[in-house]
Amino acid sequence: MLNVVALTYRLTGIGIRVTVRHSKRFGKFGDPQGAAGYSGPIIIGFDEMSWEDIMKNVFYASAATLALSAGAGFADGHLKFAPGDGAFTWESFEALKSMDLSGETITVLGPWLGPDKELVESVIAYFEAATGADVQYSGSDSFEQQIVIDTEAGSAPSIAVFPQPGLAADLASKGYLSALPDDTADWVRDNYAAGQSWVDLGTYAGKDGNPAHYGFFYKVDLKSLVWYVPENFEDAGYDVPQSMEELKALTDQIVDDGGVPWCIGLGSGGATGWPATDWVEDMMLRTQTPADYDAWVSNDLKFDDPKVIAAIEEFGAFARNDAYVSGGAGAVATTDFRDSPQGMFASPPQCYMHRQASFIPSFFPEGTEVGVDADFFYFPAYEGKDLGKPVLGAGTVWAITSDSKGAQAFMEFLKSPIAHEVWMAQTGFLTPHKGVNTGVYTDPTVAKMNDILLNADTFRFDGSDLMPGAVGAGVFWTGMVDYAGGKDAAEVAASIQSTWDSIK
Amino acid sequence: MDMAGGKSRLTWAVNLSAALLVLLWIIPTVGLLISSFRDRDAISTSGWWTALSASEKNVIERALAPGEAKPEGDLWVIEGKVLEGQGTTVTAFGITSKEPEAFSPGDTATHARGHKITVQADGRYRIEYAEEPSGSRGQRLFVRAETPPGFTLDNYREVLFAEGMGRSLLNTLTVTIPATIIPVLVAAFAAYALAWMEMPGRALLVAAVVGLLVVPLQVAFIPLLKLHIGVGLGKGYLGIWLAHTGFGLPLAVFLLRNYMVGLPGEIIESARVDGATDFQIFRRIILPLSFPALASFAIFQFLWVWNDLLVAKVFLGTGEDQVVMTGRIVDLLGSRGGDWEILAASAFVSIAVPIFVFFSLQRYLVRGLLAGSVKGG
Repeated sequence: MLNVVALTYRLTGIGIRVTVRHSKRFGKFGDPQGAAGYSGPIIIGFDEMSWEDIMKNVFYASAATLALSAGAGFADGHLKFAPGDGAFTWESFEALKSMDLSGETITVLGPWLGPDKELVESVIAYFEAATGADVQYSGSDSFEQQIVIDTEAGSAPSIAVFPQPGLAADLASKGYLSALPDDTADWVRDNYAAGQSWVDLGTYAGKDGNPAHYGFFYKVDLKSLVWYVPENFEDAGYDVPQSMEELKALTDQIVDDGGVPWCIGLGSGGATGWPATDWVEDMMLRTQTPADYDAWVSNDLKFDDPKVIAAIEEFGAFARNDAYVSGGAGAVATTDFRDSPQGMFASPPQCYMHRQASFIPSFFPEGTEVGVDADFFYFPAYEGKDLGKPVLGAGTVWAITSDSKGAQAFMEFLKSPIAHEVWMAQTGFLTPHKGVNTGVYTDPTVAKMNDILLNADTFRFDGSDLMPGAVGAGVFWTGMVDYAGGKDAAEVAASIQSTWDSIK
Repeated sequence: MDMAGGKSRLTWAVNLSAALLVLLWIIPTVGLLISSFRDRDAISTSGWWTALSASEKNVIERALAPGEAKPEGDLWVIEGKVLEGQGTTVTAFGITSKEPEAFSPGDTATHARGHKITVQADGRYRIEYAEEPSGSRGQRLFVRAETPPGFTLDNYREVLFAEGMGRSLLNTLTVTIPATIIPVLVAAFAAYALAWMEMPGRALLVAAVVGLLVVPLQVAFIPLLKLHIGVGLGKGYLGIWLAHTGFGLPLAVFLLRNYMVGLPGEIIESARVDGATDFQIFRRIILPLSFPALASFAIFQFLWVWNDLLVAKVFLGTGEDQVVMTGRIVDLLGSRGGDWEILAASAFVSIAVPIFVFFSLQRYLVRGLLAGSVKGG
């Protein structure tokens, strides 16, 4: 391809514009066509032109040249951390350079927008720098709908990033996902903490009904966290509870002292109710065995089983008590989950604790420094029950929706420590990858979260994300809103089960 | 007298209720406008109606870190100011979250650890330590302060100067202008044919068009996109123009046909008698007379395409040269939404162009109405 950079200058005195074209060849784009006859400036046109215009054109021309050479030369300047610096596993970055993908375009569709999009793009930049491929990430707030439309219509991106494994399984069963290479499952088993469970979560039945490994987990979120303001605890003389019994005692003590212990908000537009499903899942893990949890998620244990109803009522013990919740139990279903943590930072505090996943600090008031102004502790387990320390989490599944050499190579890149470390060194990234250097965490709170993840006796994936969409992203949500509004737990559970029966 | 009084009272009632309705109608917009000038924390902690007056609120500020203390005599002192530059007056302060309003400005509070804290009414504070303090976590100061209304232009700055916003505006125009002109053109021809050209099955055709109005466009996404990809159109501007044209046509044909049917038949008859062809009648008579209907449909279509996000997401690619303004704004809202201040500001930014279009077309609308009188024709 021939790249032409137009330069314009003025012949003083006669007031005419002379447009001169220089052909410039960029090796990366292949051989120039028609450049053979090029022999110096070619005069194209004459007309009136001012000095400003000329300067402007020169500026544009040089800007264009810069942009082109940056694209062609893969300058390292746009990488967040210069290769070779810091505690990163740079060998894995160097190893990537063995793949030459220049000219390949890989499209990635994911759920991240805004600042999260910049983060994921900062990781992708390393893949581009090492291989020469062009990766276009685009985020969508309606990812769930868009990926279905795109795959059905045949315009799927190379790689899709699913926030919920349930949707990935759905697309796999319709034959829209390409199975990962055979050795990927083994790699995950060996290199991820609790590897087998990550393989299981990424293994779905294909169109032919045979299970295969489709989904690769990259970026994990931790859900079993309780956020609090350490200085409010100090002022009131409270200690961080180590067990569920202590947490309940603390809740009562705060009420006795005239305070309000919890801020809970379930509002989330069309997804209203989902924060309650996390509560119930956490309570399931703290009252029943992991085996029961798995059976519940696959509906071998019915939704209206007394064990599940008991877990829902455990949540109700917190959320349906007027004295326990800021604004009273009636406010739980109507408060937006994004606004609900604000009460902790009010003066005087409207509540002392907020149970939410690791992402919530982005909704704290501006300037809140996690670790100083706010902190978190593990949502504790019952000391009296022998269930260890269960942890609830979620994660994003990356799967190939349109197979190509580039897509395969990109999945290979996600295995490399550097892909994890670049995001870790910035913010909000947890990983089960055992081969990464945790020394790159700049944020002690995230390191603390990763500790919770690694110290867990049981790790379970967000159940509602694994249930069929009509339940996990439908009646479970609305049922929890009904329950928070005062409906009987058994009644709610029975209606959720009846929906589940109807879609089998 | 009685009659007249009754009438004027009635007029008053009508005017009043109209004014009330307008007020009711406009309140959400006013709220949005005010919200667009507030920052996120203000929006999430108080309603927009409180934004216009000075308010007393409790604020938590952190003093400078103990490590910054400077020796003064045999004391170590930190001095600074809370709520710097906001013109606030402190009415009470406290040093623990349990009693955030325990002291009056000028009083000296003694912390459990021994240091003494004073906050003045103008926000200046002074913390005295007996020994050299250490640590990086500053003392929290709980202040009750009278705060004048505070507004910010940051939201607009963020929306207007977001990376790629200019490019997106161009992309939106690239989508919108052809997607408005094409359906108006096609629908005008079709509407004339359906209104004034005798042909068998005309009523059925009109019924079919009305029937199409009921079909939600969402059901057509996947088949239409499949078709576009099948014929090699792919995702791109041509595809979205065709899609918008298709989605807009039923309403356009229906509106224009109903309008054209109402035009006086005598003019068309006499033109026919004079030997005008159908195309001449359409061009010389129908088109000028239909200007108000064309203009109002153009406004409809323009607004709908301008505000559209869904169709653009489906039929356009995701590259930098194809992201429309609505898509860019959604990007700004973040992965979990909830950035209300950005939403409010971008609503007013994106409203600017449609308002301009509306007012510039409104002129034609009035002219077209005048041209529609039989005698003038």
